[in-house]
Amino acid sequence: MTAAPIVQIRQLTKIFQQGEINVTALDSIDLEINSGEFLTLMGPSGSGKSTLLHIIAGIDRPTSGDCIVQEYNIAELDESALADWRNQNVGFVFQTFNLIPVLSAYENVELPLLLTQLNSRERRRLVTTALDLVGLADRMKHLPKQLSGGQEQRVAIARALVTDPRLVVADEPTGNLDSHYATEVLEILRTLSSSGKTVIMVTHDPKAAAYGSRSIHLEKGELVR
Amino acid sequence: MTIPGFIIKNAFRNKRRAALCVLSVAASLALLVILLVILDFFVNPPEDVGSSLRIAVRNKVSLAAPLPVRQRPIIAKIPGVEALTALTYFGGNYHGESSTYFAQFGMEPSQLEAVFGEAKMPRDQLEAWMANRTSCIVGADTAKRYNLKVGDKFPLVGTIYPVDLDLTIAGFYKGTTDDRNVFFHQKYLDELLGDPGTVGMWWIKARSAEEVPGVIDRVNAAFANSSAEVLAETERAFQMDFISMMANVKSLIASICSVVVFALALVSASTMSMAIRERIRELSVLKALGFRRHELFAFILAESFGLAAVGFILGVGGICAAFASVDFSAASGGFLPSSLSATPRIIGIAALVAVGLGIISSLAPALSVSRLSVVDGLKTLD
Repeated sequence: MTAAPIVQIRQLTKIFQQGEINVTALDSIDLEINSGEFLTLMGPSGSGKSTLLHIIAGIDRPTSGDCIVQEYNIAELDESALADWRNQNVGFVFQTFNLIPVLSAYENVELPLLLTQLNSRERRRLVTTALDLVGLADRMKHLPKQLSGGQEQRVAIARALVTDPRLVVADEPTGNLDSHYATEVLEILRTLSSSGKTVIMVTHDPKAAAYGSRSIHLEKGELVR
Repeated sequence: MTIPGFIIKNAFRNKRRAALCVLSVAASLALLVILLVILDFFVNPPEDVGSSLRIAVRNKVSLAAPLPVRQRPIIAKIPGVEALTALTYFGGNYHGESSTYFAQFGMEPSQLEAVFGEAKMPRDQLEAWMANRTSCIVGADTAKRYNLKVGDKFPLVGTIYPVDLDLTIAGFYKGTTDDRNVFFHQKYLDELLGDPGTVGMWWIKARSAEEVPGVIDRVNAAFANSSAEVLAETERAFQMDFISMMANVKSLIASICSVVVFALALVSASTMSMAIRERIRELSVLKALGFRRHELFAFILAESFGLAAVGFILGVGGICAAFASVDFSAASGGFLPSSLSATPRIIGIAALVAVGLGIISSLAPALSVSRLSVVDGLKTLD
């Protein structure tokens, strides 16, 4: 892989305080992730993989060290700048889909675009394109409860893509899906990676990890390979 | 989809809870408006057109103590006095009622137009009343309530005086601020009582508003150090004195208003807190997608404010419509006049309470959401 790194992590440490006990979730991690990579983060529960993903995605902050994503040091951005940065640069896919139940598939995908200056016609074009990409253009008026788990996750992926972010982070996106739907979702993520987007996925499942272009393992907050 | 559309969908996502919240706000605001209208009625009683010229003269010792008839010619000669009538509260019960909702007064019929000019009635009925000593005139509200006709018998059983009145209706009047009262001849009462030589009060009509203070002073001075000292005051001051006797009622109503607002705030805050608590995860997702703290705060505020606004429209709109159609006199057993209305000031107070509710009930959930980290929020209900 010769592409420039989109994520540069140096001596990254994250310590959680639980009462009087300090728990080290990440311990002096060094990592580079190249643009267009499909990186899978593996490891047992409590190994720190989700914490690492959260810091890269800008929804958590490191205790020390640097996490530079697209030339922005996450630790140095204030709350508001970080929110803007997330909106423009990161697409999120969660294990439990996290769609808004009162909004249709179309409206869920449109949600991140409400923060932009785009008019409704431009928003419609982007939403339709994103839903087309995940094969759900014909389900755009359905509410989440009217969709299957796999379809819900595809809507969530469309929501992650609609702002055309360079980075897509997925926290166990197949954890709540059967193997058929899981394969669909992983294929979509691999397609995204092929199209130039950087995909970082946390998973427990070696089969899912096999879809990635690189896999790293964490244990007790440290990179083991 | 628009941001307002998103807020509306969120506000009514749990339709039953939203409906119950709106109804509780509506019912409480309606109750608040009713209480404020009643309070306003006590604090600012309605005035007749001629009330600025009228002077009430009562016994200085007590409203219940009578005044001697011999005072009449003395008052009549006082400069600035244009007209004068005796007015004696009878306090009888009609038709076997244990508590009659209208008041009855003995007066001098020839002075009705001069002293209480707002009371409008056909000339022939007025003349018939003046001509018949045992007749009476009845306010339009009372006539309507009992479906009365001219010529009907109108018996009143005395509760204060040891006599009963056997009256015949000579006519009906309307146009005063309280068209419930019944007026009869003072002379008829005097006869039944064996001419005691006393009346309840004197009511004076001054020649002009400028002369009112002077007339009051002269009337008070005329009977100073006599066996029946008087207290003359404007009709307005008399009403306020009368109302001040109900100070506890005013305090009670004011206290109930405060409790209503407080309870309403608790209900709304509780509803909003519940609504937000079950959406912590969603709000965290919104944060992750790039929505900022102040935008989420605005969502919650708008949602809470919207529910309060709908409650305000339903509650205050409903009660204003009820004011136009409900006979409050009948509903309150005569405690209140037939018609009440919410003034712009009262509607404004209710609107302020609704706005306050919207803000107060959204504060706690909005603050907790703004403090919550995205990661912690996403862990909720995991």
